[in-house]
Amino acid sequence: MNARERVLAAINHKESDGIPVDIGATPSSGISAIAHYNLKHAISKPHWPTQVYDVVQQIAQPGDEMLDHFRIDVVDVARTFDDRPEDWYDIALPDGTPVQFPWWFKPSVQPNGDWEAIDKEGRRIATMPLGANFFDQTCFPYVDGYPDSLDDLPNVMPLVHWAGMAHSPWDHAGDDDFWQQLRARAIALRARSDRAIMVVIGCNLFEWGTFLRRLDNFLVDLVMDQANVERLLDALMEQHLKTLEKVCAAVGDIADVARFGDDLGTDQGPFMSPKTYRQLFKPRHKLLTDYVKQHSNMHTFLHSCGSIYKLLPDLIEAGFEIINPVQTIARDMEPMRLKQEFGKDLTFWGGGADTRFTLNRGTPKQVKDNVRANIEALAPGGGFVFNTVHNILPDVPPANIIAMFEAIDEYR
Amino acid sequence: MEEELLDELFATILDGDIQSAPGAVQAALDAGLGPQKILNEGMIAAMDRVGELYECGDYYVAEMFTSAKSLQAALGVLRPHLQQSDVQAAGTVVIGTVKGDMHDIGKNLVTMMLEGAGFKVVDLGPDVHPSRFVAAVQEHNPDIVALSALLTTTMPAMQTTLDALAAAGLRQQIKVIVGGAPVNDEYAEHIHADGYAPDASQAVALAKALMTL
Repeated sequence: MNARERVLAAINHKESDGIPVDIGATPSSGISAIAHYNLKHAISKPHWPTQVYDVVQQIAQPGDEMLDHFRIDVVDVARTFDDRPEDWYDIALPDGTPVQFPWWFKPSVQPNGDWEAIDKEGRRIATMPLGANFFDQTCFPYVDGYPDSLDDLPNVMPLVHWAGMAHSPWDHAGDDDFWQQLRARAIALRARSDRAIMVVIGCNLFEWGTFLRRLDNFLVDLVMDQANVERLLDALMEQHLKTLEKVCAAVGDIADVARFGDDLGTDQGPFMSPKTYRQLFKPRHKLLTDYVKQHSNMHTFLHSCGSIYKLLPDLIEAGFEIINPVQTIARDMEPMRLKQEFGKDLTFWGGGADTRFTLNRGTPKQVKDNVRANIEALAPGGGFVFNTVHNILPDVPPANIIAMFEAIDEYR
Repeated sequence: MEEELLDELFATILDGDIQSAPGAVQAALDAGLGPQKILNEGMIAAMDRVGELYECGDYYVAEMFTSAKSLQAALGVLRPHLQQSDVQAAGTVVIGTVKGDMHDIGKNLVTMMLEGAGFKVVDLGPDVHPSRFVAAVQEHNPDIVALSALLTTTMPAMQTTLDALAAAGLRQQIKVIVGGAPVNDEYAEHIHADGYAPDASQAVALAKALMTL
């Protein structure tokens, strides 16, 4: 069984010759640049480049050697872009860690040590304060209210750092031949790799509301101003469906998984009631998943942080087959409970190792115990792809990452 | 009549009706109700109910935020009257997000919920250097200092803030509570904080409990 078959078996709820593993196939299932740098030195692989392909979160793209070394089963089509040495330049992060940034990203270092991201028009769209390890959004285009017309939405979206500083392949989305390139590169990746292929689409809805209006305002809108929320969501859907159409045409017959995103949970529960989700978001999520199912061979994957237990029945009905990151320490998100209640309907892509406490601050033995317990809860009968709960953060010691892989190896 | 006006105010806050909340306070004031009564029976009572509805799962963060914002709107009208009539706060809290951390939405919600429980809150904002917490404690003499951090990488600044408060000889006179994504009970204990709460509703319960000690 090859890597791709292993991933597809898991999604089809079949056990395979070992659990499939993802580290790095999405910008929220990967490894931070600093943790990557520390890890490669700890295992005597200093020649691995630390290429920060998601500059917002400072996430490294794992290279081919790293995929082989840790026997990773899935890759992001993003890795086929920015594939020449001249696409990258050397830079030291504020803590001194030497990494590479994509050629287009040149943050401005302020006298107080903050790094600022400035767009082409000279506007500041994000800041990484001294001591922080990722960029925070600073520009909320609709913070003061909804405009009468949303016709300018496509022009406003790049002011949001997630779009204005988009990870690959979307950093090339403005290239004349982008969609042809995406297809050609995905075909070439399929030819040279037996790994499953991910395409990270996004099409976030709730989150785009929070990006444009700011979280506190948009939460109030959900309760008090649903007419404007619906108007915004319709305008977003128009953009998202255009993108989705092109993605499905370009790689729908090549990629295996289409990754959507919408963080719907806090640690303690969903941001909104299931009723509000059903009313505002579910029908639109369904349109997105239906489109993928009708126009591609890809499986539907939703990245959604936090405690989303109460929304899972609706997310299943909305057409998502795979859920990530399975934030096991959030309320109601215990792996055994999730597997028991939703294991027949969902593939859990994540939940393999806690990235907030255990991996960061536990001992290697505690990491192994955590990994084993999560695998034993989530893996039986398939429906599980091992991934940490979200990205491996900068403060995770290499010894704990090594311990994590040693525990994984007991199950493959 | 009095009951009706207070019920109306209670309802605007519970429903998160930001537009109507200031008018509801003004109507109660115009009818001659005392600021203390309006605060306790119209506003604090409503936020108590919001907390209960959140705890039992009927309200979500969206509803809690909306009620908290309507409370803010109502307080905007009531605050000058509270000051004039020298109404005593339930306690004083100095709150801020620790040095290096720009995230303040969770902290803002805690601030609003504490105000909704009758606390006077001095909000230092995000990215607060330990020396600013020290200065604020010296200036405002609070009962409680509340520290927030969203990141595992900025969480250690909670420890340095506690160290700075101890070095200034202020630690014994205050209770310190902590919250934010990477924080838990174990960490609170590790840095010798006096309490941890996982969300805004429980932060209010914690602050109230600490005031009785």
